[in-house]
Amino acid sequence: MNTPPPPTSTKKDPIVRVRSLSKVYRQGDIDVTALNAVSVDIQPGEFVALMGPSGSGKSTLLHIVAGIDRPTSGEVEVQGINVGNLDESDLAEWRNQYVGFVFQSFNLIPVLTAAENVELPLMLTRLGRAQRREQVRAALELVGLGDRMHHRPDQLSGGQQQRVAIARALVTDPVLVVADEPTGNLDAKSATDVLGILASLARDAGKTVIMVTHDPKAAAYGTRSLHLEKGEIVP
Amino acid sequence: MTTWTFILKNALRNPRRSVLTVSSVAVSAALLTSMMTLQRELTVPPESEGASLRIIARNKVSLVQPLPARQLAEIERIPGIVAVTPFTYFGGQYNDEEFTSFAQFAVEPRRFRSLLVEGRVSGGDYDAWEKDRTSCMVGRDTMKRYGLKVGDRMKFRGTFYPCDLDLRIAAVFEGTVDDRGVFFHHKLLDELTGDLGTVGTWYLRVESAEKVPGVIAAIDGRFANTAAEVRAESERAFQMGFVGMLGNVAALIRTVNGVIVFTLALVSASTMSMTIRERFREMAVLKALGYKRRDLLGFILAEGFGLSALGGAVGIGGAWAAWTLLDIQRLTGGIFIVFEVTPRIMATAGVVAALLGIVASLGPAISVGRMSVVSGLKTLD
Amino acid sequence: MGTGGEAWGWLGLAGGVAAAFGLMSWLARLAGLPIQYNLRNVVVRWRSSVATVLGIAAVVAVFVALRAMARGIEASSASTGDPDNLLVVRKGSQAESGSLVTREQFRIIESFEGLARNAAGRPVISAEVVAIISSARSQGPGEANALVRGVTASGMELRPQVRLVEGRWFEPGRREVVVARSLSRRFRDFGMGGEVKAGRARLRVVGHFDGGGSAFDSEAWMDADEARAVFDREPYSSLLMRPTDPAAAKVLAARIEGDRRFSLRAENEVEYYSKQTMTAKPIKYIAAVLGVAMSVGAVFAAMNTMYASVAARTREIGTLRVLGYSRRAVVACFMVEGACLSAAGGLLGCGLARFTNGLATGTLDFQSFAETVFQFRVTPDLMGLGLAFAVAIGLAGSLLPALRAARTPVISALKSA
Repeated sequence: MNTPPPPTSTKKDPIVRVRSLSKVYRQGDIDVTALNAVSVDIQPGEFVALMGPSGSGKSTLLHIVAGIDRPTSGEVEVQGINVGNLDESDLAEWRNQYVGFVFQSFNLIPVLTAAENVELPLMLTRLGRAQRREQVRAALELVGLGDRMHHRPDQLSGGQQQRVAIARALVTDPVLVVADEPTGNLDAKSATDVLGILASLARDAGKTVIMVTHDPKAAAYGTRSLHLEKGEIVP
Repeated sequence: MTTWTFILKNALRNPRRSVLTVSSVAVSAALLTSMMTLQRELTVPPESEGASLRIIARNKVSLVQPLPARQLAEIERIPGIVAVTPFTYFGGQYNDEEFTSFAQFAVEPRRFRSLLVEGRVSGGDYDAWEKDRTSCMVGRDTMKRYGLKVGDRMKFRGTFYPCDLDLRIAAVFEGTVDDRGVFFHHKLLDELTGDLGTVGTWYLRVESAEKVPGVIAAIDGRFANTAAEVRAESERAFQMGFVGMLGNVAALIRTVNGVIVFTLALVSASTMSMTIRERFREMAVLKALGYKRRDLLGFILAEGFGLSALGGAVGIGGAWAAWTLLDIQRLTGGIFIVFEVTPRIMATAGVVAALLGIVASLGPAISVGRMSVVSGLKTLD
Repeated sequence: MGTGGEAWGWLGLAGGVAAAFGLMSWLARLAGLPIQYNLRNVVVRWRSSVATVLGIAAVVAVFVALRAMARGIEASSASTGDPDNLLVVRKGSQAESGSLVTREQFRIIESFEGLARNAAGRPVISAEVVAIISSARSQGPGEANALVRGVTASGMELRPQVRLVEGRWFEPGRREVVVARSLSRRFRDFGMGGEVKAGRARLRVVGHFDGGGSAFDSEAWMDADEARAVFDREPYSSLLMRPTDPAAAKVLAARIEGDRRFSLRAENEVEYYSKQTMTAKPIKYIAAVLGVAMSVGAVFAAMNTMYASVAARTREIGTLRVLGYSRRAVVACFMVEGACLSAAGGLLGCGLARFTNGLATGTLDFQSFAETVFQFRVTPDLMGLGLAFAVAIGLAGSLLPALRAARTPVISALKSA
């Protein structure tokens, strides 16, 4: 790779290095370029807001960085690991250890309680039952839901559900937390709570947070905003 | 939480659907069990220890064709025979009922005694029956079915023989594979028909199993090229002959069984895939959380297997209970006697149900494996 | 097939199907939605639709095929005999093989008045002997019973539905036998020129006849007196005769049944055979039991599909309700959809069962105690029954889901993602 370092690079060891990332997919008869040779570095502890109109490629970038989608070309490195080199099974393991997900529509499993939902990613680790329970409690307390552990999602408000989802993202202590429109389905008050938690994750816990949003108010919580248009980062 | 609680909670997530799935598998498994039992009932006659020592000799023309009574002396002379009796199917209508499901046979009580190997007299007195020409010995099941007791009379209208019977019950027997028959004096039949000098068949008992083939050959040979040629066969072979006469019935039942299995597979496969498909998004979330393809495959298979195994257990258990507890004889008007749901039948039906659960969940499991996380997340509920 | 009656049957079936479709369209219109809406919904959810359709098809196919088998057995006895004939058997006998008519009785009845006379001036009456022989099957091991009928010359005259299709009739006084062609396929020795063993006696097959779908298709015919000799029988089994007219038939029957010396029963030949349906009974019984049990499974399948359809369309239903559709309209809509699914299954099932039509097979007749051959008869009315059965399954399976759909609250329907 002889791509020049991107201008946004400010420190020496970024936690996320994206190099000439392109994604082309077919929609009907035409090829759609979702990402066009995007390069970006993200430092540990940054809270990056990805902004842009719909179809700009911001979600695609997030998906590829988080290892749930594959690029057409280009590379993604997270903490020195080239994500593109991992096979399906290693990638799943990697996601479990390195990435926490927060979705727009929460995506909690309706039949499980808050604690059980948070416990799901831990089921894949070697942790014992008591240890898992301890970590689940810590994560839920962190998002202020220590008293809602045994409620099912349909017994919680939207904001509470999203906080459970954040706890689920945190419980494995990942280096990276990705959030796709986390406030899209929330009222203003809950949105503020959720954004506050995400911001404090970056500020106080040293997590790197990447959030897709099209709400400038939400983006204002971030330490940096990246704007995408037609698959490219625009200044 | 354990993986199993997760699977269990998933299986019970849509209780209505789970109940429907389990019930449809249960109904099909019960049907399959019953049909296999029916097939067994029709094609495998009940075995009895004495059957291997007994021989039935009929007219070579057909079972319906009578044999001359004078053959008795000739048969008695054949070595190896313990006892021989005339054995004539009367085919009467009991009390004018439309279909009489138990048979009546004319025998010689004195000779018949040692042919009743498994049976024992449980009511009345064999000697009393032997002494009274107009009395009969009746199977316990028939006694019970019609609420009869020793000393009662039974009336039969002859459909084969141009005479009617009016018999007094002198003895009751039980312990044979078919405790329904009515036995009466051949002498009475001879009197009523004006001494035709014929019998229906000869029923005989051989000393030991090794001597059976020799005795059969001796009987067949003795009457070859006479006016009434004889076909002797073991009781078992005789019963199997009846099965053969039913023709294509066994094949028909097999076909129906095949259709049932097919329907079972279809219904559970469709339900399983519906269950999984409406959770595509969740599966994608699990994938995003780091669950691997084989983990998800395991969840789906465990759920499918569990539901169908439960359905199978309910259906097979229900069929077993029904056919064991219900009085199948009374229910079918005596057409079926044993209708035994054997462990082998239950095991077969169980394996079919469990396999179907696995096969049914394979399709959705494969599509979940193929699904990319991104496209899965886009799925609307 | 292809008789006039059957053609009308098919027309009736087509009319019934058209009427059912019209009814469904009308129901759909009642719901205020074009039936295309339902049909397209069925197609969109094709996976579960296909499974439900096939499931119902299997149920209907089994049910119709079993009924077709019973119908075939009934049809062979129902189409047997001539309405002008009188059959005389022993009182109390259930089949001709269990009947006895002495030569003396024959001689007396032969002289009764009211019997039609043939060209030669002799009364048209046949004294017959019915016997059973055990013979090797043509396929597989084992033996089966075949019914042998000894007839006199009038026997053929009395049964115009039986006609020779190969070879010649037996000659009186010779040990020759003419076998129904359909029966000849099921026994090893019943081909032309074959030698049939009856105990020590040997009967040569000199011809094949066609019984026109009647019970005679399960018989082998020979000379009555030869039969008496071969089977060592003094009396005859039955008498078949033709009275001059129906009035004479009544008088004759009353005279025979009233005669104390006889203990005989005289019955119209057609009526006698139409009652010989015991063998079909257990098959009908099994068809009913299996039909009910399997349809329960099919109802579950239909319910599953319809519930899934309702759940997936919560938003759509809400939208329809917002647009002003009533609860009743929603119920009608889903019922129509269930009926469409099951009607498709019913049509497919009937189509599959139709393949068994004309399939010749045989089993033991419980009354004659001999092999009876028959053909599966998938008649239009049976197919109509199968279709109605299918639609009933569909309606039963979609009722609860439809009611659930109707209960969907307008607002929550619109909220659901």
